[in-house]
Amino acid sequence: MSDIRLVNLTKTYGEGNAVSEINLNIGEGEFFSLLGPSGCGKSTTLRMVAGFIKPSSGRILIGSDDVTGLPPEKRDIGIVFQNYAIFPHMNVAENIAFGLKLRKRGREEIARRVTEALKQVGLAGYGERYQRQLSGGEQQRVALARVLVTEPRILLLDEPLSALDKGLREEMKFWIKDLQKKLGITTVYVTHDQDEALTMSDRIGVMQKSRIIQIGTPQEIYERPKTLFVTSFIGHSNILDVTVRGRHGDDVTVDLAGRELRARAADGVAPGGAAKLVVRPENVLLGGAVGERDMRLDATVLSETYQGAIVRYRLQVGAQEIVAERQNQAHVERFAPGTVVTIGWDPEWSEALVA
Amino acid sequence: MAIAETQAISSIRSGGSITEALGGFRLWWLVVPAFVLFLCFFVVPAVSLFAIAFDKSVPGVVTFAGNFTFDNFVRIFTRPLYYMAILRSIGIAAVVAACALVIGYPLAFVIAKTEHPGRNTFLMILVLSAMQLDTVIRMYGLMVLLGDSGLVNGALLASGLISKPLPLMYNTFGVVVGLVQVTLPFMVLSLIGIIKAIHPSLEEAARSLGATRAQAFWRVVLPLSMPGILAGSLLVFALSISSYVVPALMGGWKVMVLPIHIYQQIAETGRWQFGAAIAVVLFLTSLLAVFIYHKAAARTAGGRT
Repeated sequence: MSDIRLVNLTKTYGEGNAVSEINLNIGEGEFFSLLGPSGCGKSTTLRMVAGFIKPSSGRILIGSDDVTGLPPEKRDIGIVFQNYAIFPHMNVAENIAFGLKLRKRGREEIARRVTEALKQVGLAGYGERYQRQLSGGEQQRVALARVLVTEPRILLLDEPLSALDKGLREEMKFWIKDLQKKLGITTVYVTHDQDEALTMSDRIGVMQKSRIIQIGTPQEIYERPKTLFVTSFIGHSNILDVTVRGRHGDDVTVDLAGRELRARAADGVAPGGAAKLVVRPENVLLGGAVGERDMRLDATVLSETYQGAIVRYRLQVGAQEIVAERQNQAHVERFAPGTVVTIGWDPEWSEALVA
Repeated sequence: MAIAETQAISSIRSGGSITEALGGFRLWWLVVPAFVLFLCFFVVPAVSLFAIAFDKSVPGVVTFAGNFTFDNFVRIFTRPLYYMAILRSIGIAAVVAACALVIGYPLAFVIAKTEHPGRNTFLMILVLSAMQLDTVIRMYGLMVLLGDSGLVNGALLASGLISKPLPLMYNTFGVVVGLVQVTLPFMVLSLIGIIKAIHPSLEEAARSLGATRAQAFWRVVLPLSMPGILAGSLLVFALSISSYVVPALMGGWKVMVLPIHIYQQIAETGRWQFGAAIAVVLFLTSLLAVFIYHKAAARTAGGRT
């Protein structure tokens, strides 16, 4: 178990940067996700940590060792690939024994630890099977067992759930997280799926165009996104055009369709300029739910969409559209299209970002 | 309705019932031309050749007479001139297959791993261009290189390293060199596809589990190349054991392999029946060798082929 430090890590291909000056400390036992769209550099970063790609500059430290110049086999890491990479010419037991054999462990020790590893991932009795006889989820577990049996210092996961179907993905999400917690192994998880990142991570680094643009806990990333990119990449948000009236410390007053609203402000939002006001649909209250709040607006209901557990409203305020979602409980008010309804939210539920 | 449609689509996608989807046996009409060609120009001549091999050997007679006898075969297996030729043919073909594998694998590996499209095309053209010229012409090229007064001997003599020309041609060495030259592209082409199909993550997984580059190659990449090694070796073996032109030109009629005997019997002494019998032996020898090799290789590959 070790922490990971990336210092000014950069990878340049031809003209452009695949990864630009990443500085990151991942604590011992932490589950850290690199989240971003394809091509943002998250996989390149992971592959540099693994040793498959040589950084153009910068350093990689695992524990107290500088591994920047070391080949993958000397880094003492475990990596699980998107396609699991189970060796097809070996059975499950041989796959898991692979790393132990290279470490010249005794025959009996190998047999014992392979059995233990299979039990740990819930595949006792699967030793004789081959890759082609395993489902995606089982291959996933074998890949993890194969890695964990060598007791690596860190665990790297490269989109390990993206090849599974939805139901299994949900199940594996919690299973991997539980296993990671139990083992306390420092883990870097690469994904483009915000649900996975939010559910599993201790912290998330959101990447965009070769850089990490925000690092924080899932709650911080979801509730206090620093840029519009983070906002739109994580969950759904209303992104409204507003004019900034004044700034008071971390708060601003903004003008939305003639109404003055208060909101929290990100860095760089200055009075007099345009900004984007961000509110999550689940935070937009409707009708009676607005209560005594002084931040209230009149909105026209454009449409109501019934989605089972939630009901979704498209509303018009001035020239802009706001989406509101509410839990569909038995006693909840419903609003027909065309009616005018009061909407509102607390100032700290909204964020003004640089446009 | 929608479910039925999805099922139909998925069954087409899975490839399980393409013929069903396209209307059953009508698809078989597509293979009729190939089948007729194969029947007229391979099966019929081969069967008639087999038939006359069991005929009494009479010089100048080509057609099937029906004088059933095993004499031709007895003659082959009782005279050293002929049964040694069988062993020589197998030996040369095996050595050629091994050489082509050892030389061809690294080449195929490099081509398979070259991702740059331009460079990849260039290397492929290089391999294929070796197949563009007729074998006879290529052999004359080799003669220019390997003959007693050829480029190699000429250079060595001129440099004073040797006092008389090395025997590089008109012997088994020359035949092997010629056959390796001819068969190498087949080996390389058989290997490229297989090596390309080995996902890079398998090698990377091995590395991350503690394998050096060499260990990852020997324990993962090479075993997974077995289907290509098998296919390439069998192809090269079959091409080599049945080659007439290369032993004729590079062996100068001194390396007596089975195809040379067949040619002599048929074209020079006119004994078609005996020539046909040698051809039958060649065919069965080749088939048997292929069968044994396949069994052995399949075992080492863990039954995956």
